[in-house]
This record gives sequence, C-alpha cells and structure tokens, in this order.
Amino acid sequence: MIDDQFEKLLRHALRRKEPSQTDVERVLKRLAGPLPGQKFALWRLPTVLLDWQFAPAWPRVAVLACCAALGFSIGIAGIDRQFVNADAVSSYVGGGGIGMIAFEPDPFPGGRP
Amino acid sequence: MDDSDEALMAWVARGDEPAYRQLTLRHLPAMLGLARRILGNTADAEDVAQEAMLRVWTHAPRWQPLAAFRTWLTRVVVNLCLDRKRRAPWVALEEAGEVVDPAPDASEAAEYDERERLLAGAIAVLPARQRAAIVLTYSEGMSNAQVAEILETSVSAVETLLVRGKQNLRARLRVSDEGK
Repeated sequence: MIDDQFEKLLRHALRRKEPSQTDVERVLKRLAGPLPGQKFALWRLPTVLLDWQFAPAWPRVAVLACCAALGFSIGIAGIDRQFVNADAVSSYVGGGGIGMIAFEPDPFPGGRP
Repeated sequence: MDDSDEALMAWVARGDEPAYRQLTLRHLPAMLGLARRILGNTADAEDVAQEAMLRVWTHAPRWQPLAAFRTWLTRVVVNLCLDRKRRAPWVALEEAGEVVDPAPDASEAAEYDERERLLAGAIAVLPARQRAAIVLTYSEGMSNAQVAEILETSVSAVETLLVRGKQNLRARLRVSDEGK
C-alpha cells in the first residue's frame, strides 16, 4: 500500500463522528445532580501576592516631588534657621546638653589606690 | 456578557453553575467523541467525559488561562483516556464497518471496508501515546504543535510518535494481508 492510500485510509478510518444526541444526553443526565465542592488552592496565595501590581501612582509621585522641591527651597532660603537657633538656646538653658557629661571639667580628686 | 470559554471559566471559578452548564453543553459532545475515538468504547468514553466535565467544575478556581480552555480540556480528556487505557481491553469501534466512500464496485468497497476494519483493530493495540497522537492528528485535525501541547511533550517527540505509530499500523496491516 502506497503512502497516499495509507494516509487516506487512516483519515477515513479516524474520520470525526460526533456522538449521538442520546449519548450526550445520557452524560448530561449524569452531570445534572448536585455538583461536588470546588477546590481552592491555598498555595496560590503567594502567587496572588507576587502578582500584586506595584506600578507607581503618578499623582503621588508628583506630590512627593513637590515636597522634595519645597524642602530644598526652605533649606536654601534659610527659613528654618530661626527654628535651629531656637533649639540651640533651649539646649543651653537646659544646662549645657550632652557636652557637659562628655567633658568633665574637674579632675578626679585623691591619690592612686 | 462575554460568553467566551475563558470568560465563562472565570464565572465557574466563582461558583456560577449556569456558566458551568453552558460550558458543558458547548464542549461535551466533542470531548465525548474524542474519548470514544481514543478508547474505542462508548461506556468508558462516557465515564471519561463525565469525569473531565466534573474536573472543569472542581478545578475552576485553580485554573489559569495559560492555554486556551479547549486545549486544557482536551488535555484532561486525553490524560484520563491514557490512564484508563493502559490496562483496559479495547472494543472495536462500532462504526468501523461503515464505509461512506464511493467505490467503483462492490468488491473494492468490500476490500476497503475490510482494510478499515483491520486498521481499527491495529489502532486498538497501539501503545497509548501513539494512539492518542494519531487520533488527535487524523481525527481532530490538530497540528503537531497542538498535539505536543496536549500531550505535554515536544513537537519532535510527537513526530516520532506519529512515525512509529504509522509504522506499527502498516506492519500490522501487512501481516494481515500476508495471513490471507
């Protein structure tokens, strides 16, 4: 048998035939009952978290940029210096700050043990 | 409402029973026919088709549209058939004797009929994966790439399955011819 004849025979023998309506209805009838519970996979939870979209929200990025520019402007203009000086005064009034502890002005009295 | 398979499957994943019924009505006849061609047995084919459609329901929440729904469902049916077929005996297709091809005379028609019957018998004893590859290619009209996707193998492996399957079939037909 040559190849063409064999191919033709194969196609003919395996030609597609739809099942009868009776067969289909028989299976549908078996499927008509109450359906079993669906399976939910807990292992998909990490996937869901990994699939989370972290695309930047452009309005928030613009607000952040504006805040940065404002901070830079305040720093350059020196508007914040009065607050820094006020802090310095208050620390002096408070008793000299941490420097008083770090540099003890009086030597330890007494001889060596 | 979008009634594509994938959209319906998304509804099924949320437990929507009417969507499931719609999917079943749409795909059951084709899947039943495919199972019958692979298994050669109507009763087993009905069991496989029922099991496959139940899996659509139970596995819907886990299903991801990585491939077309039809491809996924075909893969489920083929795998169920292969599982069932590994040990079960094969019953010849009841349609094997039916010949609709016009033949010039009665003797040629009878010979063609006989060859087709022999071929059906030869397909029955093919290894399961070779049979599945041949049925998907010649009956479903799928490309090698589609068959590879369903059998979860490479295109070259499918080509090998087809070549070996056809060699086996030809050898069996030759033995039958010589036995006459």
